[in-house]
Amino acid sequence: MSIFTFAFISAAGLLMIGLYTLLVTRNLIKVVVALQILVKGVMLLLIAAGSASGQIALGQSMAITVIVADTIVAVIALSIAVIIRRKFGTLDLNAYTTLKR
Amino acid sequence: MVSVLILTSITLPWIGAILVWAVGNNRPTLQHGIAVGFSLASGFMSASLFLYPSNEMALSIPIGGAFGNFTFVPDGLGVVLAAIAALIGSLAVIFSVDYMRGDRQLGRYYSMVLLFIGSMVGLVLTSNLLLMFVFWEMTALCSYALISFYNDDPKAVTGGIKALIMTQIGGIGLLFGALIAFSSFGSYDISIFLQKANTLPPALLSLTAFSFLVAAAAKSAQFPFQTWLPDAMEAPTPVSALIHAATMVNAGVYLLARFYPAFANVPGWTTAVVWVGVLSALLSAGMALVASDLKRVLAYSTVSQLGYMVYAIGVGGIFASQFHLLSHAVFKALLFLAAGAVIHSVGTRNMNDMGGLGKQMPFVRNVFLIGSLALAGLPFLNGFWSKELILEEGLAHGPLWAFIGMMMGAGLTACYTLKCVWMVFYGDQRTPLHGHDAGHFMKIALFILSIGALTSWVLVGPLGTLMELTLPFHSIKAHSTGEILIEVLTAPATLLALLVIASGFALWVWRNQLSRITDLMTGIAEGARRSFGFEEINTAIVKGTNSIAEFIRNTQTGILSVNILGILVGLVVLLVSIAVLSILGA
Amino acid sequence: MLVYIILIVGLFVCAFQAIWAKRLIVSALWLAGTSALVAIFMYMMGATQIAVIELSVGAGLVTVLFVFAINITGDQALSAKPTIPQPIAWGIVLLAILLLGWLTLPYLNINIPGFQPTVLSKVLWEDRAVDVILQIVIIFTGILGVLGMLSEEKPRHKRKGEHH
Repeated sequence: MSIFTFAFISAAGLLMIGLYTLLVTRNLIKVVVALQILVKGVMLLLIAAGSASGQIALGQSMAITVIVADTIVAVIALSIAVIIRRKFGTLDLNAYTTLKR
Repeated sequence: MVSVLILTSITLPWIGAILVWAVGNNRPTLQHGIAVGFSLASGFMSASLFLYPSNEMALSIPIGGAFGNFTFVPDGLGVVLAAIAALIGSLAVIFSVDYMRGDRQLGRYYSMVLLFIGSMVGLVLTSNLLLMFVFWEMTALCSYALISFYNDDPKAVTGGIKALIMTQIGGIGLLFGALIAFSSFGSYDISIFLQKANTLPPALLSLTAFSFLVAAAAKSAQFPFQTWLPDAMEAPTPVSALIHAATMVNAGVYLLARFYPAFANVPGWTTAVVWVGVLSALLSAGMALVASDLKRVLAYSTVSQLGYMVYAIGVGGIFASQFHLLSHAVFKALLFLAAGAVIHSVGTRNMNDMGGLGKQMPFVRNVFLIGSLALAGLPFLNGFWSKELILEEGLAHGPLWAFIGMMMGAGLTACYTLKCVWMVFYGDQRTPLHGHDAGHFMKIALFILSIGALTSWVLVGPLGTLMELTLPFHSIKAHSTGEILIEVLTAPATLLALLVIASGFALWVWRNQLSRITDLMTGIAEGARRSFGFEEINTAIVKGTNSIAEFIRNTQTGILSVNILGILVGLVVLLVSIAVLSILGA
Repeated sequence: MLVYIILIVGLFVCAFQAIWAKRLIVSALWLAGTSALVAIFMYMMGATQIAVIELSVGAGLVTVLFVFAINITGDQALSAKPTIPQPIAWGIVLLAILLLGWLTLPYLNINIPGFQPTVLSKVLWEDRAVDVILQIVIIFTGILGVLGMLSEEKPRHKRKGEHH
């Protein structure tokens, strides 16, 4: 089995773990952790695809874009978490549903 | 050059809308100025399109993929309506400078009006069915936002939601037609649709034809959807003049006129169109006779005149219907704006409280008189020429029962028009009301429109040549202005119509002597006041839609896990269907 | 070959521990480990520059961010019951990913010949220049957003001070 098969398997595994966490967790910071894991899986896939088809420079450029975008997402999500903790007093997701009828 | 004109006449109002919002409500004079400036600019741009009519695509924005190209064609049908929309739009904005003086939320008002003007111009100039649908929906959104403008008044809010739901039913019909065009011909282009309409299987073609008819009837408040327009009169009056008299409700008529060559041979379609037109004209004329709210009378009258236009399309007189559209836009906008001046100064809309206002507001009385004589169809005002042209076409090409019905409609029109003028401006004052004459900006707008009502019939010759030149599928034959005038004056239909109109006037003037006949009709009058039962149907539709929406609201829990579960379930459904299809296909 | 298997197992272990850890700081440290292993994986596939960037950003910057955020918000670990029962969650995730993998299997044409090897800097700055510009825009927007969010308490204090 070539390295690319391993790459696809591990990317699929990371995606599974990330999605499962998003479904199951109730802590806002764990949600950000899960998003990071999800994105690492996607990055692996991008690099694997680029390397397998020979256009590794293209794959790397896309991966750079993904890294930058996702880091900014993590920064903003964590600052939102800080502010929400101040306002609501808890990091439990189910406590934020105040937009009622 | 043409592409620049088209682009600016659509996007200038939108830029004006953003600017008016950005300037903020603290600077109302600047907001008024920006709104008037941008709408006038758009008016000039779209009026200059008359210099370059053509049949070819003038502007094409490639979007790629399934959407094709966003194309714009400045042909006869489109340019007339675009000019009407932009010019009457700018007159309505000039009128609003006086009408909305002192209002605290001018930003919202002007930006919605400007957004509407841009989308309406885009709707009639485009030749891409999908883009037409997008603009259709944008005009519906602006109409809803403006009807509910006074959003602390529950009647206004209900009126707005009702108008939105009823016109969305029409939107579904239009989308359906657009998708059928794309799936059958591979392109959204209207000229391709008109060319190849015969190649569609007959069942599919008639389904498209009737769904377009439903879309047009819902948008133009025709039978059986006619009750949303009177309830939309909660909007500020310049909005009523612009959207619900001169432009948006004409979109349905425009749709029917544009697609007439494709659907004319569908069995039963033209008969259905004639039925819709006649029923709308007669029912709403009856309702106008017994209404006591000034704006409601004008709303019913709009529905009735739109019925005339639809009837004209049904019998094949496309040119007559577009000519009546032009005249109607001018005199109906004039009537609404004049009514707005009256309402603004006395503060009430109920005609039973008015009376004798002619002495206090002479200028408004004169322009209202001009507008109502044009509506009734008095000779040498623009309504006369267009209505006679329609009746002539109806006599020549249409069924006789429809012609008789439309004649009765003309008589009823004269009757309720005179009643309206009498109750508001003449006679003795019923309640002590203090009225002042219109402000300067109101006077400017009213004056320009009354000149239009007196003279717009001169354009009939050039209009005809414009349409013959640029609409190859419609086979319109043009005559010069002189020929048409002579033709109308010497037709037998004209004489009959004048007799009927005179009898309509007489009916009102001698109403006391004819009281025995009117007593017999009280049953019908009561039914007319309840709009013959259609109000209940429409309210039921609106209530049903609201309860379905409330039920679906339960799925929006706001919990992240549930939303992600929804995403994943959707993904699984999609993947399973792809897998099944690939297995079946292989 | 053995190296690859160790890498994959290590990756799965780190990811699992990142989400099962009871304390949030431990979770952030396991995330750093995941980043490092992903970086090594990418290096072995030939993407040398990206591996370095991923190592420094993922295992460095993001971890520091997490540590700061967790210190400010407090290290409470919720052991609350999840909204959706765990078997259903596992089931649907497995279903989605396995279906996706099975459907894309025929298209994994691993050896596509005929492409010239290109240099990263040339591709990044010429072919994907718009991407780079948008990244710069995103970075600035993110910074402005964070500044706007985290400083919203101050004006209220100032106004209260002026009233007194």
